Amino acid sequence: MNTESSPLPDNLPKRWPTWLIGMLMGDLVIGLLFGLSVFLQTAGSYQAILFPSFFLVPALGGIIASYFWRKLEPHAGQVVLNAFWMTLIALAGATIGFHEGIICLIIVAPIFYVMVLTGALLGRIWFRKSPPRLFINILPWMVLVLLAEPMTRSDSESVITDEIIIRAPPAKVWREVTSFPEIPTAPRFWLFSIGLPYPMATTTAGDFVNADRKCIFNHDAIFKEKVVELISNEKLTFEILESPRDPELVGHLTPHRGQFVLRRNANGTTTLVGSTWYTLHVRPLWYFDLWTQHIFRAVHMRVMQDVKRRAEL
Amino acid sequence: MFYFVVRYARWLARVPGLPQFFDALLFLSTWIFKRSRVEAMEALENEALRLPNVRLKNHRFGGTEFVREPQGELGHIHGQGLLDVLLTREASQKLLATGRVRPHHVFPDSRWISFQIKSMDDIPFAIELLQMAIARA
Repeated sequence: MNTESSPLPDNLPKRWPTWLIGMLMGDLVIGLLFGLSVFLQTAGSYQAILFPSFFLVPALGGIIASYFWRKLEPHAGQVVLNAFWMTLIALAGATIGFHEGIICLIIVAPIFYVMVLTGALLGRIWFRKSPPRLFINILPWMVLVLLAEPMTRSDSESVITDEIIIRAPPAKVWREVTSFPEIPTAPRFWLFSIGLPYPMATTTAGDFVNADRKCIFNHDAIFKEKVVELISNEKLTFEILESPRDPELVGHLTPHRGQFVLRRNANGTTTLVGSTWYTLHVRPLWYFDLWTQHIFRAVHMRVMQDVKRRAEL
Repeated sequence: MFYFVVRYARWLARVPGLPQFFDALLFLSTWIFKRSRVEAMEALENEALRLPNVRLKNHRFGGTEFVREPQGELGHIHGQGLLDVLLTREASQKLLATGRVRPHHVFPDSRWISFQIKSMDDIPFAIELLQMAIARA
């Protein structure tokens, strides 16, 4: 497809700077909004920063880009392509400015791109007729709304639960659940393969309530935990006291606690049920929760498959 | 996908921004998989703007709306190239009888008709439909 509607070659040098300025200005506003939000909240706990919505802020960035592109009267197809470049620039900026990890960027990129595109497509039509002054006047209000939106959220706790059947009695499974040595198998989950920390081993100070536990992930990421409920051969619940400051893990969610439940089956096998409770700090919830559940499921299954392997030996 | 969402998740259209998000997704998939359709949609936009006093507007349920005074909305095009046009009852029934257009995907018994744009060959007829919408006043 011809991405330049003007047939005049001498217009090209003028068009590309305009595209670029739109992308940079849109990204700049997005970056400032996220930066300002982080700056305003760093006085509190860095592990619970309420990021502005990844649904709303990129859309505003797209609208701003369209404001600068308006004189080009772009086709929707051109907007698709330039919103893509704008997203790439933003992700590069997030890596440098916010030290975001590659996994976070992979997770954020699809929603970010589609929202930049949504905003840019809306702006493309809007700025054809609406006076730009109107947009300039309402822009500060939009910024304020986006900054204030995180304060209006009520964070709710979610839980993800997985289960596996192990051909061994609960007493044998229990020994493998309370703590376990290094998992020898290589990670199979695609995000683990490209750098997301994955569980390696668990240590415990003993089989008693208030015992300290450590869940050790690769990249030296350690979750410090404390046993809060222990019913031998039945249930182990632990609070997660401290999460590692890995760039892929910090800030976006708070894991609260984990639990293993062992259920004796009539045929002599055991159903091992693993659960994790967490709170997400990024929005839109429906989008990031899909990813979080996808990832926690992989974490659960890596640990529980290894428990199964050892218990069935 | 479009028809599934329209049929089973129409209530989501009440969430501000969601129809536009969905339409951007539709347009993106059209751009990736059916580029010639996007070219046709862009051509329709250009041709529609050549009609007297027609201007573009963002459609409240996603897509681009063709507007003209005094008729108001003439029609709108969704991200996958589905053109919905508001005609007179007589004109819509006559067109439906030819089989070239379909009943509207949400309001089948209304004066609205739907026409799927697939290529540049469909543009003259799409413009004809918009002209019929202009003539309805």
